[in-house]
Amino acid sequence: MSSSYSNYTNSPCAACKFLRRKCTSDCVFAPYFPPEEPKKFANVHRIFGASNVSKILQEVEPHQREDAVNSLAYEAEARLRDPVYGCVGAISVLQRQVLGLQRELEETNADIMRYASCLGGETTSVYGARRG
Amino acid sequence: MSQIKTIHNPIGSLERFLDLLLISLIVYMTLKGGTSGACAACKYQRRRCAADCPLAPYFPAEQPKLFQNVHRLFGVRSIVKILENLDEVQRPEAMKSIIFQSYVRDRNPVHGCLGITQQLQYMIWVAEEELKAVNLQLQLYRNGQNHANSHNMMIHEIGEKQEDLTSQLDLGMGLPVNANQGNNTIPFFSPVSETQPQQQPQMSYCNDVNNNDYNPTPDSCKEILNNHNASSAWGQNQFPFNHHNYGFINQNEHCSETKNNNSVMAIQSQLVNLQMASNKQEEEVDAQNYDEIHQFLEIIDDSQSFTETKEVYASSSGESLKEPIDEIGEKELRRAATCFSLTSVN
Repeated sequence: MSSSYSNYTNSPCAACKFLRRKCTSDCVFAPYFPPEEPKKFANVHRIFGASNVSKILQEVEPHQREDAVNSLAYEAEARLRDPVYGCVGAISVLQRQVLGLQRELEETNADIMRYASCLGGETTSVYGARRG
Repeated sequence: MSQIKTIHNPIGSLERFLDLLLISLIVYMTLKGGTSGACAACKYQRRRCAADCPLAPYFPAEQPKLFQNVHRLFGVRSIVKILENLDEVQRPEAMKSIIFQSYVRDRNPVHGCLGITQQLQYMIWVAEEELKAVNLQLQLYRNGQNHANSHNMMIHEIGEKQEDLTSQLDLGMGLPVNANQGNNTIPFFSPVSETQPQQQPQMSYCNDVNNNDYNPTPDSCKEILNNHNASSAWGQNQFPFNHHNYGFINQNEHCSETKNNNSVMAIQSQLVNLQMASNKQEEEVDAQNYDEIHQFLEIIDDSQSFTETKEVYASSSGESLKEPIDEIGEKELRRAATCFSLTSVN
């Protein structure tokens, strides 16, 4: 009873508010879904479902749960924005950027090699002229 | 006539009985999930796989793990809801992305695809910093070439002026030479004044590399979602795990080698070598379940090692970049000084 009294004074978490249930002291969602961010849980619930999220949270270590929730919230939001590709679309975009930068690095590197060989040749010729 | 009918009817009924038996056998096998019957989704759920099962095209019975991952993350109802809201054309791509996302979550239950996104952002940052350093190096080389050309001209001019000077001295005339300059006569030695300002940006750049803290956050990843239209950048039926040359590196190896080699050129050659190594890794894929997904993700390291190594790399990259830039500046000075000392006026 004391636990329910303490929760009566505290606001229920966003998850329990959304699910319209009593937010107990051992609510698995409460630490990660504060009542000030209702949309976070709504998105996650819409895409993954509360039971799946609960199972995932129970499978990871307690100190990693916040990161897990944040990543799930990110993926849920991405999937809502883009139902076809979700967060995988962003991965594809970034991957292309990496490939583009690599190509640019290779080209610049090739330019440097060219200049280095040119300068080496010119230096030799200057020294040769002086000695001659 | 009636006798003939009585002879034929038992045979016909036997045939009909056999047909019925065959049909019931097929139905029985379908219900039980026979060899070519139920998809992985229906097998997992232990239900009859209908002919119009929406998940059957995406979850073959030979790859049960794919569906298990998806079921664990999304759930059947969620997937069906997603598919219902999409066109026929978009459904295969959506399912591919869902399967990929679920696979990544299975491999990395804490960070999932966000971990990959952050790793890629980090790699982009590293590559951009490296590109800055390499462009500076290239600029030095370009300036060096220009100076070499101007040195050749200067040598000729100095030679001519020396002749003029000696001839004028012979005649009792002299050019106004500052006694303090001596061998350091500056007017003919322009590279010093030109290279000194260039060295300063190099130093500040190296300081920036040392001081910049790279902290990828979910918010920065959200910016990517905002700024990039994934569908336009996606291309036609392109998927990240269809590419074989990702250039993704095992960051532990990358950082330790960087510390040892300590040069920009070494970093670039490592990227190329690791690309080749990633191609070799692809040959060790478990082809049974995750053909394409393995090819992409075996190259990606865990996020834990990523967070451990990025700081190491950030601290070492500044030092590694600083040395070659300083060496180039000193080489330029020495070369120019050598040119001048041979032609100085005593």
